[in-house]
Amino acid sequence: MVTWNTLWLFALLAWICWTVAAVLSLRGKRQKAVYLLTICGLLIFGSYIAMMWISLGHPPMRTMGETRLWYSLFLPLVGLITYSRWHYRWILSFSTLLSTVFICINILKPEIHSKELMPALQSPWFAPHVIIYMFAYATTGVATLMALWQLCRKQDQLAAIDNLTRVGLSFLTIGMLFGALWAKEAWGTYWSWDPKETWAAATWMCYLIYVHLRKSRPDAVTPALLWQVICFMCLQMCWWGINYLPSAQGTSVHTYGG
Amino acid sequence: MKRWGLTLGSFICCGLVAVGMLLQLTVGPVRWDAMAWPANIIVLAVLLLGITSMHLLRKKVRLFRWMATLQAGIPAMVACAMLTVLMGVTRQIPSGHQPMEPIGITSMLTFWPFVLSYTWLVVLVGMVCMTRLVQPSLQSIPFLLNHLGLFIALVAGTLGAADMQDLRMVVQEGKTEWRAVDAQHRVHQLPIAIELHDFSMELHESSLAPKSYSSAVTVYTKRGSSVNDTIRVNKPLAVHGWKIYQYSYDEARGQESDISVFELVRDPWLPYVYIGIFMMLAGALSIFIGKKW
Repeated sequence: MVTWNTLWLFALLAWICWTVAAVLSLRGKRQKAVYLLTICGLLIFGSYIAMMWISLGHPPMRTMGETRLWYSLFLPLVGLITYSRWHYRWILSFSTLLSTVFICINILKPEIHSKELMPALQSPWFAPHVIIYMFAYATTGVATLMALWQLCRKQDQLAAIDNLTRVGLSFLTIGMLFGALWAKEAWGTYWSWDPKETWAAATWMCYLIYVHLRKSRPDAVTPALLWQVICFMCLQMCWWGINYLPSAQGTSVHTYGG
Repeated sequence: MKRWGLTLGSFICCGLVAVGMLLQLTVGPVRWDAMAWPANIIVLAVLLLGITSMHLLRKKVRLFRWMATLQAGIPAMVACAMLTVLMGVTRQIPSGHQPMEPIGITSMLTFWPFVLSYTWLVVLVGMVCMTRLVQPSLQSIPFLLNHLGLFIALVAGTLGAADMQDLRMVVQEGKTEWRAVDAQHRVHQLPIAIELHDFSMELHESSLAPKSYSSAVTVYTKRGSSVNDTIRVNKPLAVHGWKIYQYSYDEARGQESDISVFELVRDPWLPYVYIGIFMMLAGALSIFIGKKW
């Protein structure tokens, strides 16, 4: 029986793999080992999620802690995809560090909740909707880190940030539209402007602005980087910020852990 | 040229918000129920005619040419995003109620500046789609899937909203019901009737919270046909243009409930919204195809 109590063991093993891979890639050595170790870590962490899934009887996505599990998994994955495509030596260190933060939160403050799903969530749309969103969050998270890095260190990474943003935006679009199709099926309306949906629309539009701004004014680098950070703040609001927003209390079907 | 374009775009958005505020103060919140058939099809015709004629006049009128550019689009997106964020930080009242404060931002969907900004954005998206549609090319396909998909989904969703009927019907076990109420508690007589044979519920073993619930029903139509089926959460039944969802039950009696509450939805514009949504989905996937991503 896999529970939150065994998370530390899987997390530690995965973390060792990811950290060694990050150090190796930072030194620019042993390309094969970098890939193998990262994938090994992903498999270890992924198998934990899979076992959680089986022992819960439904995909672990309902609570804040459970969505953080997916985020911890997808960050190194996005890092590896980015690494394979553009060979930034530091990207794996970044993604591992961020993933570690979320793993630590989950170990120190595991949000254990009942294993039951309310009837509306027992839908085949549920898993793809959340997994796609978490992947989008991870991708845009890496893009934001790169934007902050460039703002501080003045190293040009705009091409990679643009690509990650486009991938993230496309996943945000798919996640949002899957949500709409699911809502139509479960509640009869595809868009009801509940606080989560309102913030999802605002976030989506912010990233649209980024993409269009880059096309319109390719020379305006600093505004674009700053806007990237604003986009991510908007996304954080959408992900967990609304749980603390007075205007959103008690009105959202998207509240975690209820 | 670029800076001039962005400035003009910002001015127009500010102007729209100002005009919207004036309208809000003089004529009150937007009345979407006035958009019901046939008003919505007339508005759609005017919108499409307007976009087409502005497109045809683009060589003569600089403004119309500018409307299909990024410099026009970005300020419109910013205005819409800002109003959406404003909507996100204010508590919204349920639809059909009057706003809680004199300005109207607690009912953002009927707030004139919000509606005008989105309308402006939709017009601009329509204009830019026209420029691509008149010169069809393979490279334009992802662009059109994204932009035209959004245009279709937004226009059909908004204009069709007033034609959508969303009703609640309470049926007792063993009885047949054909009347349902809307959000304003008005009673509607429907062309279909539901006979409830049995309401049943499964509970989670540990906490006795509901796991799933369903209703065995026969649905009769005015034409004399009938359907036997079981309606459960996430498993609606489609009859004669209506979709019947399992909505609720007598929560005080739980498993012993002898009533079932259904949500009945009729949404004649839905197929067009779906066309838009599936175009956007294809557009989102298309960025992974081809080397330039």
